[in-house]
Amino acid sequence: MTDQLGALTTIFTEFYYWITVVLMFLIHVGFCMYEVGASRYKHHQHTLMKNTMLIPLVTVTWFFFGWWIYWAFPTGPGLAPSIMNESAALITDDSLFSAKWYVPTSDLMAVNLGDHISGVFWAAFLLFSWTAASIVSGAVIERITTFAFGICAIAIGSVFWSIDAAWGWHFDGWMLKILGYHDAYASGVIHAVAGGFALGILIVLGPRIGKFSSSGEPRNIGPRNPWLVAIGLFLIYTGFWGFYAACNIPIFDLGPEYGMEGVTYFTATNIYVTPTTLGGITMNFLMSLSGGLLAGYWIAKGDPFWTYSSGLAGIICASAGNDLYHPIQAMIIAMIGVVIAYKLHYWVERKFKIDDAVGAVAVHGYAGVAGLIICGFVLNGYPSSGYNVGSMWIGTDYAPINPLGMFIGAVIMFVVLGLIPGWIIAKILHGMGKLRIPREVEIAGLDYNLMEAARDDEKAVSSSTR
Amino acid sequence: MATVTNWIDHLSAAEVQGAIYPYVGSEGILVIVALVIWIGWHVLTNNSESEELEKLARKRHSANDHKSNITEW
Repeated sequence: MTDQLGALTTIFTEFYYWITVVLMFLIHVGFCMYEVGASRYKHHQHTLMKNTMLIPLVTVTWFFFGWWIYWAFPTGPGLAPSIMNESAALITDDSLFSAKWYVPTSDLMAVNLGDHISGVFWAAFLLFSWTAASIVSGAVIERITTFAFGICAIAIGSVFWSIDAAWGWHFDGWMLKILGYHDAYASGVIHAVAGGFALGILIVLGPRIGKFSSSGEPRNIGPRNPWLVAIGLFLIYTGFWGFYAACNIPIFDLGPEYGMEGVTYFTATNIYVTPTTLGGITMNFLMSLSGGLLAGYWIAKGDPFWTYSSGLAGIICASAGNDLYHPIQAMIIAMIGVVIAYKLHYWVERKFKIDDAVGAVAVHGYAGVAGLIICGFVLNGYPSSGYNVGSMWIGTDYAPINPLGMFIGAVIMFVVLGLIPGWIIAKILHGMGKLRIPREVEIAGLDYNLMEAARDDEKAVSSSTR
Repeated sequence: MATVTNWIDHLSAAEVQGAIYPYVGSEGILVIVALVIWIGWHVLTNNSESEELEKLARKRHSANDHKSNITEW
C-alpha cells in the first residue's frame, strides 16, 4: 500500500469485516443461550458444551479445507466455466481468486503484509460456518452424542455449506449462471441447507423419549427457561446485523469491474458484486424482523418461544432478496414465511414423528426455502450478476433471476446439499453405534454425574464449615 | 528463527516480504501437527465419552433421580 486512497480503502475494508466478525460472535452466544434455555435441567451442561465445541472443530477444519472448498468449487466442477479462466475445472490455477492461495500451507493463511483482506474474509465466512452448524445443534439436543454432533458440525460447517456457497454465493458460481440463483443474505446457502441437514439427521436420530405418546400424539417439551431463550434470540438478532453487513462489500468501484469505459461508480455491493446500500438493507432487515414478529405473535397466539423464533424466520425468509426488496415487500414476505414455517413444523411433527426440539428445521429450513421461491417471483427478471447478462441453462454468462431457477436452487440447498448428506452421515454414525446416547442416560440426564459430583462437593464444603 | 530482524531493512526492500511469522517455510509441518491434534482430539474425547455414557447407563437412574442432586449453591 503506497498511495493514501488505496491504503484507506484497504484498511477500511479490513476493519469493516473485522467488526462484522465481532458482531457475528453474538450469534453463537445467542445460540448457546437459546439451546440451554430450550433443554431440560438435567441436560443443560452437555447441551452447552456440545454447541460450544463446534467452535474449535469447525474453525480448524475451516482452516484445513473449508475455505479452500469455497474458492475451488464455483464451477461445480464441470457445470459452468469460470469467468476468470474459462475452465469448468476446480479453480486451483494462478488466478487472483484461486483456491491455490487458501490451502492451509499457503503463506496467505497467516499474518501477511501483502494481504490485509483474506484473513478477515476467512473469519467472516467461518462465522457463517459456525451458524450453519449451530442451527443443526439445536434440533438434536438431549439425545445425540457429542462425538456424532462434532462430525455433523464439521460436515455442515466446513464441507456442505462451503460447497453451496461456492455454487450459489460466489460471484463465479455455476448456479448464478445456469439457474439465475440469487440469495443475497443466505436464505438458502446457510439457512435452508442447515435446516435440511438437521432434518436428515433427525430422521435417523429419532425423537426424545416421551415426545410422542403411544398413539403418536406429540407432546410439548420445553422451553425450560423462557428468559434464557429470549436473551438468546435477542443476541441472535443482534449478531444478524453483523451477518448482513458481512454479506456486503463495503466499497467497490463497479465501473472498471464491469468493464465500463471511463465510468467510475463507487458503491456498496452484495456478495455478487451488484449494487445495494447498507441503508436499504438495514430498513429491510428491520421490516422483515417486524413482519416475522407480527405474524409469529398472531399465529402462535402470543407464545413467546414461537414469536421470537418467528422474528428470526421472517428475516431468513426475506433475506434472499433483501438487497433489492422494498421494505414493505420484505415485511410481507417475512409474514408469509413465518406462516409457512409454523404450519409445516407441526404438520411434519405430527405426520412423520420428527422431533425438532427448537424448531430449527422450520425457522431456518422451511422459511429459507420459502424465501428462495418467493424471491424468484418478486425479483423475476433482475440480473443475477453484473458481469454479463445471458439466459438460463447456457452457463457461459449469467441467467436472470427467475422462479424456476430459484425453485431448483431451493431444492439443491435443502435436499441435495442438506437433507441427503445429513441423512447419510447420520446413518453411518448410527451404524457405528455412535449417533445416539443410551436410553438409560437420556432418562437419567446427560448431566447426572456432573450434578452428583456438585452435590458431593456441596456436602463436603458445608460439613467443613460446621 | 525470526523472519524479521530489522523493520527498516524489511520495509525498505525492493520487494517487501509479506509473510512475517516465525519459521516461514515450515507451514507443511505445522499443518501436519495440527491435523494430528485435530484427529487425536476426536479419538480421545470419543473414548472418554463412550466410557462415561456406559458407566452412567449401567446405573439405570429414573427420570427424576437427578432432582436429589440439585445443589443449593
